[in-house]
Amino acid sequence: MTAREVVELIKKNQGIPWNQRSTRDTFKIGNPDTTVKGIATTMMTTFDMLKRANAAGLNMVITHEDTFWNDRDDTQDLTENPLYKLKTEYILKNDMVVWRDHDHMHAMTPDYTVVGELRSVGIPGGEHATMRPGILTIPETTFGEFAAQVKRSSGARALRCVGDPKAKVSKILIGPGYATPRMMPEVDVVIGGEQQEADGAFDNMEYVLDAVSLGMPKGVIMLGHVISEQAGMEDFGNWLRTFLHDVPIRFVPAEEPYW
Amino acid sequence: MRRADVTRRRFTLLVGMAGVAPVAGAGPLTAESVVQRIQARLGGDWPETGPDGFKAGDAATAVKGIATTAMATLDVLKQAAKANANLILTYEPTFYSRADGHGPGGFGAGDPVVQAKRQFIEKSGLVVFRLRDHWQARKENEMVTGLASALGWRAHRVNNKDAVYEIPPASAEATVAAIRSRLNLRAGLRAAGDRKATVRRVLLFPGSMTPATMWQRYSEVDMIVAGEVREWENTHYAADMFTAGEKRALVTIGRVVSEEPGMRACAEWLRTVVKEVPAKWIGVGDPYWRPA
Repeated sequence: MTAREVVELIKKNQGIPWNQRSTRDTFKIGNPDTTVKGIATTMMTTFDMLKRANAAGLNMVITHEDTFWNDRDDTQDLTENPLYKLKTEYILKNDMVVWRDHDHMHAMTPDYTVVGELRSVGIPGGEHATMRPGILTIPETTFGEFAAQVKRSSGARALRCVGDPKAKVSKILIGPGYATPRMMPEVDVVIGGEQQEADGAFDNMEYVLDAVSLGMPKGVIMLGHVISEQAGMEDFGNWLRTFLHDVPIRFVPAEEPYW
Repeated sequence: MRRADVTRRRFTLLVGMAGVAPVAGAGPLTAESVVQRIQARLGGDWPETGPDGFKAGDAATAVKGIATTAMATLDVLKQAAKANANLILTYEPTFYSRADGHGPGGFGAGDPVVQAKRQFIEKSGLVVFRLRDHWQARKENEMVTGLASALGWRAHRVNNKDAVYEIPPASAEATVAAIRSRLNLRAGLRAAGDRKATVRRVLLFPGSMTPATMWQRYSEVDMIVAGEVREWENTHYAADMFTAGEKRALVTIGRVVSEEPGMRACAEWLRTVVKEVPAKWIGVGDPYWRPA
């Protein structure tokens, strides 16, 4: 089976009309007609992850995020970049091929990135979650205790919180990656991967600082982009196995980049 | 073309006004006249569509004192009111989005936090003006030199036109520990790359760094200290460089934190522009914490 045939099967099974104009969900590098020896699903095509996939004999990488350090994987300004050369040479030399599934994963039911994110932060019942699962209710606890549970459960080293640790919280709004949801009056805690800190479409950080100053029980937890969408790529691999039977499929995590 | 003409005329007018401003007793020093003086000193166009401008309060208010800040949070505004500083110059938005309460986006005029903040500003007689683009565009970019001073590196600048500093060599880990302690940081500081690298050349980049800048500059230095980057772009690049064996590190300290020293420098500069009332800087601090 070729990488192109794998992608055709994914498109057929994903259950949503394919957006041909997506700049994200395309082949990034390698020959689509390469015979697939094994598939690695991953949150992001890091160089380190590519080496581990190759060592495991997996030559097709299905990645949720970019390969060349910008969202569009635009390589126009990178052709003379030594790291770009090194990474592309490694991929081509080892007969690997990289394909990204981002937009369509988020449009799918369930959105496995959110399914995985809910499981990794320890909120049960998210097996069928879509990209915007709505307000979730957890047993009332303090924001500090909840944040500690999220850190333990997700293993995020560089997790960041804003808000009053003593605030009583129970209403949670969660989003994957950069799609950190906007805080709302009826929500206590927003969980996301990352978000521009200020001067964006909505600045949760300043909003929560001010809400806390007004005595409102609110908090934000930023898990980190990799951590927030990592676990779901294992679920995505499990889903691939329901219609791809003849090729090994393995989840190869991207490492959290922070010390 | 038409706007350019108007702007030039307005600019001449502003310069003229700055010239007569020291005439004492000609009336109260209003927020508008302070801003006009700042505009004249900083120069350039001040288009209505830009981020810089009045965000809240009455521009005709008599100014008793000026506060500069990286971000006019409610806590900052409370401190300003207490210190009798009723004109606040902020680098970042006040109303939680780039539109800053004037257009779409953000949290809406009916939001309880937005309403409470507006009420506090009104009740306290404060005026908030955003001063970002023009302060940053200044030839003596104090957003950079301010951060260097806060880190104790001001004297180590390699070239006055650039933001590279050559500091006494230390490991990336030790350099990160020094940054953390100098800037009093908590969870807002995050580092990626080679923690064992020897750091001598550092690029300072307050604010938000694009991938293109990262690709262009990272290999020139041992460490980049930026305000914020996108993890799946720049941080990913630093991680891949580490895998490739490059002995470098990327440190992000938080966008607002990275902008604080530059706004502290702005307060000092203001004292040379507005002598009638005191100007002080009010810090926000690292907003992030991490559970054990």
